[in-house]
Amino acid sequence: MLSEIVFYVNDSKVSFIGDPLTRLIDVLREDLHLTGVKEGCGEGECGACSVLKDGKLVTSCIIPVGAVSGSRIYTIEGIRDTEKGRCIIDAFAEGGAVQCGFCIPGMVMAAYALLSSNPHPTETEIRKGISGNICRCTGYDLIVESIRLASEKGGDLWA
Amino acid sequence: MPQTAIDDRIVRVDAKAKARGEAMYVSDYAFPGMLYAYMIRSSIPRGTIDDIRVPDLPEGYWFITYKDIPEEGRNELWMIQKDWRCFAEHDVKYVGETIGLLVGPDRNMLKYLADRIEIDYTEAEAAITIDDALALKGGPIIGEDNVLCQLYVEKGRPVEEVFREADSVFEETIETGFQEHVHLETNGAIVTIEDGKYTFYASAQCPFYIRKAVAGLLGLESEDIVVKQTTTGGAFGGKEHFPDVLCGPLLVAEHRIRKPIKLIFDREEDMLYSVKRHPSKITYRTALDKDGNILGIDGLVIYNCGPYLSGSFVVLQRGVFHANGVYDIPNTYVKGIGIATNTFPSDAFRGFGAPQTLYAIETHMEHIAKRFGIDPAEYKSRYFIKQGGETITNGHVVERVVLPEMLEQVLEKSDYRRKAATYAPGSGRGIGISFYNHGGAFTGNGEQSIIKAHARLVKTGNRVRIEVGSTEMGQGFQTTLRKIAASTLGISIDDVDYDNPDTSKVPDSGPTAASRSTMIVGRLIERCAEEMKERWGEGDFSVEKEYEHPDGHPWDQSTFRGDAYLGYGWGCCAVEVEIDSLTHEVNTVGIWSSHDIGKAIDELVVHGQVNGGIIQSLGYASMEKMENRNGHFRQSSMSDYVIPTSMDFPKQEWGLVDNPYQWGPKGAKGMGELVFNGADAAYIDAVERALGIEIHKIPMPPEDIEEALRDAQ
Amino acid sequence: MGMTYVPTTLSEALHLRAEKGARPLAGGSDMMVQSKRGIALAPEFPYPVMIITSIDELRGIRVLDDGSVEIGALTTAAEIAASEDVPWHVRMAASGMGAIALRNSATIGGNIGNASPKGDLPQPLIMLDASVVLSSIHGERRMLLDDFILGSKRTALSDDEIIRSVIIPPHDFTYSFYRKIGMRKANAISKLSLSAAALVKDGEILDFRASSGAAGPKVIRSQDAEKMLEGHMVSEIPELLPAFLEAWNNAISPHAMPLYRRNTTKRMLSFFLSEISSGAEEGIIGGGEE
Repeated sequence: MLSEIVFYVNDSKVSFIGDPLTRLIDVLREDLHLTGVKEGCGEGECGACSVLKDGKLVTSCIIPVGAVSGSRIYTIEGIRDTEKGRCIIDAFAEGGAVQCGFCIPGMVMAAYALLSSNPHPTETEIRKGISGNICRCTGYDLIVESIRLASEKGGDLWA
Repeated sequence: MPQTAIDDRIVRVDAKAKARGEAMYVSDYAFPGMLYAYMIRSSIPRGTIDDIRVPDLPEGYWFITYKDIPEEGRNELWMIQKDWRCFAEHDVKYVGETIGLLVGPDRNMLKYLADRIEIDYTEAEAAITIDDALALKGGPIIGEDNVLCQLYVEKGRPVEEVFREADSVFEETIETGFQEHVHLETNGAIVTIEDGKYTFYASAQCPFYIRKAVAGLLGLESEDIVVKQTTTGGAFGGKEHFPDVLCGPLLVAEHRIRKPIKLIFDREEDMLYSVKRHPSKITYRTALDKDGNILGIDGLVIYNCGPYLSGSFVVLQRGVFHANGVYDIPNTYVKGIGIATNTFPSDAFRGFGAPQTLYAIETHMEHIAKRFGIDPAEYKSRYFIKQGGETITNGHVVERVVLPEMLEQVLEKSDYRRKAATYAPGSGRGIGISFYNHGGAFTGNGEQSIIKAHARLVKTGNRVRIEVGSTEMGQGFQTTLRKIAASTLGISIDDVDYDNPDTSKVPDSGPTAASRSTMIVGRLIERCAEEMKERWGEGDFSVEKEYEHPDGHPWDQSTFRGDAYLGYGWGCCAVEVEIDSLTHEVNTVGIWSSHDIGKAIDELVVHGQVNGGIIQSLGYASMEKMENRNGHFRQSSMSDYVIPTSMDFPKQEWGLVDNPYQWGPKGAKGMGELVFNGADAAYIDAVERALGIEIHKIPMPPEDIEEALRDAQ
Repeated sequence: MGMTYVPTTLSEALHLRAEKGARPLAGGSDMMVQSKRGIALAPEFPYPVMIITSIDELRGIRVLDDGSVEIGALTTAAEIAASEDVPWHVRMAASGMGAIALRNSATIGGNIGNASPKGDLPQPLIMLDASVVLSSIHGERRMLLDDFILGSKRTALSDDEIIRSVIIPPHDFTYSFYRKIGMRKANAISKLSLSAAALVKDGEILDFRASSGAAGPKVIRSQDAEKMLEGHMVSEIPELLPAFLEAWNNAISPHAMPLYRRNTTKRMLSFFLSEISSGAEEGIIGGGEE
């Protein structure tokens, strides 16, 4: 069945016409070509497809587009050139957080959500904040350290 | 721009594009008129195919099978042998064996059609475990005894003679399970035709392997196929030979269809239908004198290979060559058998056969030490091999072995001595320790006789381009190699280019595997750069070098005698745990390591490799359980096959020792696999001490600890 | 494959439920996964579905006059975990569900309606005698959650009903215990879970209850076992313990990892009761960090 679902992606209005069960990730990647959103597992388990929905971190592979009517969605493409986005990305690069990189856009989104609600997290809070984002390469230490760096360098940005 | 020095802290060259979501992985590519493919696979582990009923295909859809291989082609994927078929024909040997490829423009329609293909089988009894295969369950799969490959190595006096002199003999069998790579990017490839040539875009470690593996399907030569590596989202060995299994059917389809075709596995397919680490069953029989000194070891190493050889013989060789660990045991005999079963073929996985035997020998040594009331660290250190010491293959360790220094580093940082002395066995708290190594590069004279790597540097104005077939898959090689070139040339790393390889444009520098890239290809680029630096004023030119084997490393591949490796990386790791007495949940409270990798080209890259390798190893030992029931893997998702999250292990303390390697670039040796090879044994040692029991297998999730405790009573 | 609807009001949803037989899809974290079909493919359901995520009437947590807490069906695990009004056991279970992104999507209604033996929320809710409010175009009914969940993936939901809310009656416990054993420390499906609670006054056990998750086709609560302790003095626990543990062991029916699930359940209950009998400080027994 075709429905029209209107929502916002990276501040642009999107009018989706189609099956409301279509996965949000497929609208983002296939229709809007936002390929920074990665599919790692297709079941909300790995976090590679993480996006912000109305300010909250969600996995776009288990959300039907029918559930985002009126919502504001941000993907990595929507935050990477913002001051906060750049702060995290620079910290990830400087801190050695990136290896194969497949989990990283989702990890950046998780860090963004974390620092936005908790500007100066402890190591444990950072580890909890990214515990839904699976990385097979790094063992996480340098990602955790990079998020701490982003918190420190961002200063008032996160307050 | 400032010159880049080898010890500069720099930003990884690929970090920002990846973090910004701009790096293009294979699933991110789209071509005009592109079709999609869906693989149709065997649903039984062993049997014959009686009938395949395909629904009427709409216009523009194809079902490609072995029948589509042209007359001049052969239905085989040339890995090391040519036994792995591109498509099953009249029989199937494992669940997931490729039967056909559905191709068409709409993925919904493909799925609809796939669900309606009916295949009739006559199922035969399958052999799944090593014991099944040894018992020839269902009749032999290969030859008369299911032995796919075997070898033995012998050192010192005949072991039976030594065993007659023993005061006691300690025998135990240690088993390890399947391990799935879980690279976050699943397997995928696209085939198309560019400039009249079949061209692949693939997530792969070894673009040149793909060319070689698939060309014969159409009766072509390797050079007729072009492979372009796409940004690869993790591999760990899982994309060494396995991309051939995707690219073969795609090539046959392309021959018929001649449009771009994309094949991307979803996670369930990647879990159920991809290669895994070889499960193993390793038995050590050790002759001891009355004080617990080792007189000799008799070992039997059996790896579960699945029905096709793929890389298994080489994996098995590496397993056997690491079966004495880091120790100089006076007399040894170790036999290795690669056994055929009806499971998905096992293949490369970080460590390539070494982790299984290293885990087993470490555990075995530790058990002997405890039986004689000696601290395992102290006991093991008595047997550390030294420079010049004889290896298990009658070769010699060429480099200085600095294990005692590494041990001291780890003992001090971890406060091992105090903890080992004060944590009572069974107290719920324990610290464990392990030692390990990894032979760098291809076994024996493989680099010289098989690979013959080439690398090239091209100077255009003041910019320099690296041309090699080696791939970045997350391990940092694009950064490492650029840094070697820039620092040798005395230019900035920003003036050095190195793109993902395209086989039509770069020389074959061998596979990105075996921890050989920095050591071998890095050295080639260093040599190119040394010459380029001298001739810098000559304008635009290129320098290409071929691998040169260092003198003094004799090897006989027919008897497996001599220097199995050009040099080793060495490691020592300690792990401390607390175990919840109610639930047996293991809480790791500390991880300390020290490694000898010669010299770190880029310390931040090395830091990431150490952390990641150790966590993968701890996952292998603790939670990564992949079971197989009648040929079917039981774990099919990232929620039932779990790998560590950021919460599972604490921040690591790590260190390196400086021990420059004579033949490596700037003194560097291989390290990507080394760092996987030992944390598992340290973890299990700690768990054993915390519980006061012996453990003989991995992985050990809480429910298996429950059983081990019951069995120990 | 059925039709899909996106109602925006409860009334619209109830009509779709009654007239089209559409089943509600809330956060998607169970249904979207169970019916997934692969990359770039929408899940398919053999029945009509309505995506009810945007019905605000079904959202929110409020304290009722009698001290009960009512949680709207679309309230997410994250919202439950963060609410001081929600009883401790339920907050613990909510905060241990999956990871952050999942907790921002998964709802209490979905977790209950899915009735997975491994679901996190039903276990403490059943121990707390929570009930579900079921709405249809004909009105509302309320039943105990323990009666609503019939077995693995089976509930007493009628064809015209949807879960509207969950009501947790007030309790006053002297001692509380909660543990979830996941496949790993975070972002994990439950291997086993246990809630336990006791009200003790002047040394007498006035109320004792416990519930086990992932130890059978549905959450296990044994009134028989609970009664063995109620009315007895704390000092009698050591002699009552063997029979109590035996009764509990008979009540659970783990189909996988039976040895582990049985022994761990025994050890946890035994620990909780031993702490009580040895005069532990009132409150949470055995940690319980959120």
